[in-house]
Amino acid sequence: MTNNNLLEEEIRQLVSNVTEVPFEKLTLDADFFKDLNIDSLKAIEIVAAFEKKYRIIIPEQDIPKIRNLRKIIEYKTSR
Amino acid sequence: MNWDKKKIKSVLPHREPFLFIDEVIETIGTEKVVAVKNVKSDEKYFKGHFPGNPVMPGVLLIEAMAQASIILYSIAKPEIAKLHPDYYLGKTKAEFLSPVYPGDKLIIEANCIKIIDEAGIVDTSARVNDRIVAKANLIFSVQKKNE
Repeated sequence: MTNNNLLEEEIRQLVSNVTEVPFEKLTLDADFFKDLNIDSLKAIEIVAAFEKKYRIIIPEQDIPKIRNLRKIIEYKTSR
Repeated sequence: MNWDKKKIKSVLPHREPFLFIDEVIETIGTEKVVAVKNVKSDEKYFKGHFPGNPVMPGVLLIEAMAQASIILYSIAKPEIAKLHPDYYLGKTKAEFLSPVYPGDKLIIEANCIKIIDEAGIVDTSARVNDRIVAKANLIFSVQKKNE
């Protein structure tokens, strides 16, 4: 497995744990809100869990842009 | 600077007998609030919880910690707080470690994990003297009126 694949699996697991969305349903492009019924409280939990694990602060203005797994992974890899 | 009841009521929508913050004794930027609730012997709920054995209900400890969290939110987001939005407690993970009795002075701490315009995650604790009586992680949403 490449580092990118490992990171993808790690973040997928983190999001799955927080949202209780089954691992297999969390595809890269599934929209958290429209496709997975994740509400705003779960969204802030994802952000807080991500910040804690990777010690990266996600500024408030960036949060609405992070609507799927791909965007979170990109957020991590771009830093 | 300490917050008195007047200032607390300017932020919290709660009123007696459901106001569980008497004073704010410390604030550290937008990171932390320390508040006090003096648990009086004539609090109404002691009549039934329990007759002859008054103990502060755990849900009211959570309520006190949630109210301290709203005060923390109001410091982080003053422009929104002054519009008196609705606050909804959404998720709680709590531990109750020791009973709280009439006459106890509750010291409530609220520490920011993440606060954004529409929601917050706050780690809270309540202690009596040096004894932690409850801890809770609270997640709440904030909605402007008529949203």
